[in-house]
Amino acid sequence: MTCEECLSELATGSLRELPSDSAVMQHCATCPDCSRLTTLLRDREYEAATVLNNLPPMSNPIAVAEASVLTAHRRRVGGVVVMLSGAALVVTIWFTAATLIFPAMRGNGPMSTLLTETIPLSCLSPQQAADIVDPYLRTHGSLYFIPTSGISALTVRGTAAQLRKSKDLIREFETDPGAACRNPTAGLRAAAKMDADLRQGAPVLAGPPSEKVPTAPKKH
Amino acid sequence: MAPNRFGKRGRDPGPSATVYRDRTTWAIDAQLASLASSGDDSAFTTLVTRFHPAVFRWALMFASDPDEAEDITQEVFVRTYRQLDQYRSDGPLDAWLYRMTRRAATQMRRTRKRRGRLALSPAAQPLRNVYTTDPGGRVDRERAASLIRELFATLPRRQREIFDLVDLQGFSPVEAAERTGMKPVSVRANLFKARKAIRESLLATHPAYRELSR
Repeated sequence: MTCEECLSELATGSLRELPSDSAVMQHCATCPDCSRLTTLLRDREYEAATVLNNLPPMSNPIAVAEASVLTAHRRRVGGVVVMLSGAALVVTIWFTAATLIFPAMRGNGPMSTLLTETIPLSCLSPQQAADIVDPYLRTHGSLYFIPTSGISALTVRGTAAQLRKSKDLIREFETDPGAACRNPTAGLRAAAKMDADLRQGAPVLAGPPSEKVPTAPKKH
Repeated sequence: MAPNRFGKRGRDPGPSATVYRDRTTWAIDAQLASLASSGDDSAFTTLVTRFHPAVFRWALMFASDPDEAEDITQEVFVRTYRQLDQYRSDGPLDAWLYRMTRRAATQMRRTRKRRGRLALSPAAQPLRNVYTTDPGGRVDRERAASLIRELFATLPRRQREIFDLVDLQGFSPVEAAERTGMKPVSVRANLFKARKAIRESLLATHPAYRELSR
């Protein structure tokens, strides 16, 4: 074996698996350079193994065990707290979404934009129309405006759903053929009949009215 | 006491270079783990006492100094306490602990990188030298730290681990493969590269080295 071959072997071979009858060791017996190098390498590895394998930990195992148990308990509690916080956060997000965001996206929530629309009236007076829609415009800052100049219309400000409801209601009353506004004497005759009934002591609501009193058409 | 893995050269690896090969010891450790996982704190203390030196030794390989190895060791046992019920007794407990040490060391290294800036601040420096009461221990630890830096500083983590397992702790490449989850071929390749890198500076002192390196 030459020095080059010996070096090549020493570069990557296991130094612990070098029996005395191996080619490297036999070459080392005759070559002082390779012998010195082999000894150096083996001593260095031996020293490293000795230092690292014999270095004891400074901490006491019982203290380590106690600290481990305490820390593990603390982390478990921390995990539960984090989990509960996460659950609370999810519930909060869900509640906020259910009460604010989704209704707003559907267009009837408090965050939805208010629209203004003027509803023309052909039969009802603005005050009558206002009386009809007033109960439906009590939320979300909704309003109605009665024109002061005598124009027969009602301006409503509200959400899209409120506007739709207002228009439907007004349309129902406006299209009712028996509405008082379409038959001006009907209302007067009904009032006179009621007055006469009261004078005769008859119950006001007993018996069918002689003339149809304007009422809202029944919904089917 | 664990069998001597340096038997061929008669080296005693000391109490920290573990562990066992026989199934009887596996069974005893499995029983200990079972007791500890069922809430028996004294069994857990026994388990820690038994594996503390071994885990510290493994942690040394992943750490940059013995202090970091102590932190890794503590972290390993915290995780052990929490996850001991996941240990299946079909394999040796020391191999399971070794894998846990690897994971803990990897995670701690990432955490330390993130907190690196904080550690440089004066407020983060220790108030006193913890080794003043044990000068001998301090010397040993400084020696170990310099050795780790000298031997392993330039090696990739995997080569460093394989070199330490095979050449310093005395495991065979097959055993090292089982512990690290690598293929034996990969273990041998990493070992080859690690040895070459570590021995290169000493080999360069040989007069024939230049001719060889050509």
